[in-house]
Formats: sequence, structure tokens, C-alpha cells
Amino acid sequence: MNNLTKNIIRFIVFVVLQTIVFNQLEIGYGFHLMIHPLFIMLLPFELGVISLMGLAFLMGIIIDIFSNTYGLHASSLVLMAYLRPIIFKFYGPREGYDPLKEPNVFDMGNRWFTYVFGILLLAHHFWYFLVEIFQFNQFFFILQKTIFSAVPSFLICLLLQSFLIKKSKSK
Amino acid sequence: MRNLIAFLRRFQIFLVFASLQIISLVIYVQFLSFPRSQYLTTASNVTAKVLTWENDVTKHFDLSKNNYALQRENIRLRERLPEFMYTLSAGKVKVDDTIFKQQYTYIPGMVINSSVTRRNNYFTLNIGSKQGVRTNMGVFSDKGVVGIVHNISEHYCVVKSVLTKDINIDVIIEPIHLAGILKWDGHDPRRGSIDGISNDLRIKRWSRVVTRGGSGIFPKGIPVGKVERIESIEGEPLWNVVVRYSEDYRTLQRVYVVKNLMIEEQQALEGQIPPDEEEDILR
Repeated sequence: MNNLTKNIIRFIVFVVLQTIVFNQLEIGYGFHLMIHPLFIMLLPFELGVISLMGLAFLMGIIIDIFSNTYGLHASSLVLMAYLRPIIFKFYGPREGYDPLKEPNVFDMGNRWFTYVFGILLLAHHFWYFLVEIFQFNQFFFILQKTIFSAVPSFLICLLLQSFLIKKSKSK
Repeated sequence: MRNLIAFLRRFQIFLVFASLQIISLVIYVQFLSFPRSQYLTTASNVTAKVLTWENDVTKHFDLSKNNYALQRENIRLRERLPEFMYTLSAGKVKVDDTIFKQQYTYIPGMVINSSVTRRNNYFTLNIGSKQGVRTNMGVFSDKGVVGIVHNISEHYCVVKSVLTKDINIDVIIEPIHLAGILKWDGHDPRRGSIDGISNDLRIKRWSRVVTRGGSGIFPKGIPVGKVERIESIEGEPLWNVVVRYSEDYRTLQRVYVVKNLMIEEQQALEGQIPPDEEEDILR
């Protein structure tokens, strides 16, 4: 299976999982599980930032259509795609990334993944709730929603990777 | 010209980012107040089909509760039938049946997709323009008011529920007929608040809140909830009246869309009033 078909299948799987399963789980107290940022995270290293943002916009709009948020997911996913190369550069090894590897938790290690994906997920969630609520006297409510949603989303993304990704054979 | 191209090339990543952000935020702001098409909402055919499949599985989770609610509503209506009443007076009663003319009819529908935890929550119903649904029609269930139709397609419609930012349904607090506007602050799907009630008025706790029926969207007297507590707002001579909704929106399934047969007459009459220019300046 080459890279393109793999990513197309992943795109569909993430959209279906997010819209049909995770959008319907409404726990309350500000928990709002969003796992589709993981798709943007798992795209290959060598993909340019403009195509990253294009894919993010497309995926965001599709999820928006299913959840009546009219461009909110698109906006926050595009922000995440824009930040991805910057954060990658910041935490990257000195000789650059190995193009054969994939930015998942098995190839890159727990520590790297927690830092990079944690920051990206927090930025995504913070932007999402900031635009959604858009009242600055409710800033602590925005922060509460961000933390309460980002932490369980991160854990579920860790879990999902063990289902969706085959571990590379070198390990 | 060459400088411009060099500038564009240098900042092309940021420019693409900014334009995508602007596109998505413009769509967001536009669709919140007035949706221009059905294709970016769950009213569109493909999305609603997928959500119907999903709902075919999940609707069974709340089925017994909803059946019980429908049964109770049936009992309430049956109790009003003349066959179920005992006649007290043997004399004949004269009924003048031309003093009532039907103003509202109802279209039954079912919720196929809903959310309650976002800032703006919408419900998708499985009825659309073919069944006679139009935008700005009221929607309620047997226990309480649900929302206003926001966007329609041929077979589906999206309802802006009372759990949204600018829902502004006019309601009254029952025994003394205090009029106010229903709002939702985005925290708790079980509680809303009423705006615009002056704090020299005394309100009893647990008094009923019903719709006012002024704008012709809802008939008068559809239940909304009960007054749970009354708080004073700092710096304003108003009460913040917290209402506990009588409907549990998390398990909502069967709803009715209100069709006002005289809405055109009312709107044509109200359209003749010239807009108040002074009010706009003050705002």
C-alpha cells in the first residue's frame, strides 16, 4: 500500500470516526472530543505547508457540514496545519527528519510526540473554543473547555494510533 | 511589479493561511445569522442521509423514555375529549362553533441529529419543504419549546435550538404575565435565563414560564420551564432569572413544527410600521 492510498483511507476513517462516533458522545462539563487533528499530524514530513493547509481546510469543511459549525473546524484545523512545520522545526533533530519515518508515536518516541502533538492540539482546541464562544469575560470557561477537551482527546489519539498504524519492522 | 511578485512569493504561506482563515470565518459568521445555502449544513441531502443511518442505530437508546412521554401526552389530550367526561347538567348546551378559527397547525417530525454541549446547538429534523416546513417556523415538543427553523432543504431542516447564542424567544412568567426574552449562556443545557425583567418586580420561585406568542412563531402558552432562581445583575436595574427547561434536550426525539396560517397577514400588517430611526441612532 503506497502513501497516497494509505492517507486517503485515513482521511475517510478519521472523518467517519469524528462525525459518526465522537460528535455524538456528549458528556457535558466542557468535554468535547476531537480526534481529527491526528490526521494532520500523521501526514508525511516532506509534505509542503500549503498542501497541508489545503487538506486541513477540506477536512475541516467536511466535518463542519456534519456538525453544523459552518467553518469553525476548518479555521482551527488550518491554524494547526500552519503551526505544524514551525513546531516540527523547533523540536526536530539537528540533521533533519528521516523521510522514511512517519510522525507517529511509535516512530518518533513518546517524548517527542507528547511535546509536539500536545502543543498542536492545545493550539487547535484553544482557537476552536475562542472563536466559538467569542466573549472575553468568559475567558476561564474557554480555558476550562480547552483543557477538559484536549487531555482526553490526546489520550484517545494515543490509543487510536495503536489500532490504525502498523508498527515499523525495525523495532 | 517585480517587488510585488517577490513579496507575494516571500509571504505566500502566510497569505494562503490568512485567506483560508478569512474564508472559513466569513462562512461561520454569515451562516450563524442567515444561512445562504443548505449545502454547508446538515440539511443537505448527503449529510442528512448519513446522519439518518447513524440515527437508525442510536434512536433506540432513548426509545422507551420517548414512548412513555408520547403516551402521557396522549392521556392529557384524551382527558379533554367530551366522551371521557361526565355530564353534570342534563339541559342542552348551545355551542357557538364559529367563534374559533384555526390559526396554528402542526407538522410532526423526528430529530435525526442533535448536539447540546456546543455554544450553538442545532437539531436536524427529518422533515423539509416538501412537508411544508419554512424557515422561521417554531418547533416544540410535548414538554417544551425547542427552537426555530434555521435552514431547510427538500426533505430535511435544521432547527436553531434554544441552546444557541441569539435565540431570543419572547416568553412570559405566568401568574403575573411578565414579558422577557429567553437567552442561553452556553454553560448548562438544562438551564437558560430571561433578560429584560426589571428588579422592582417580585417573582416567585417555580412559577411557570411559557411562550408569549407575540411574533406569531409560537402559539401562546407553550411551556418553556420553571423559574429556578433569581439573581441581581451588578450595575443594572434588572433581574437575571434562571429558568430550568422542562424539556431534556439530550434525549429529544419527537417534535412538532408550528405552522401559523395567519403569519402573512400579521407580517404584512407589521411591515407597514415605519422603522424607528431614533432607536437606531441610540443603539
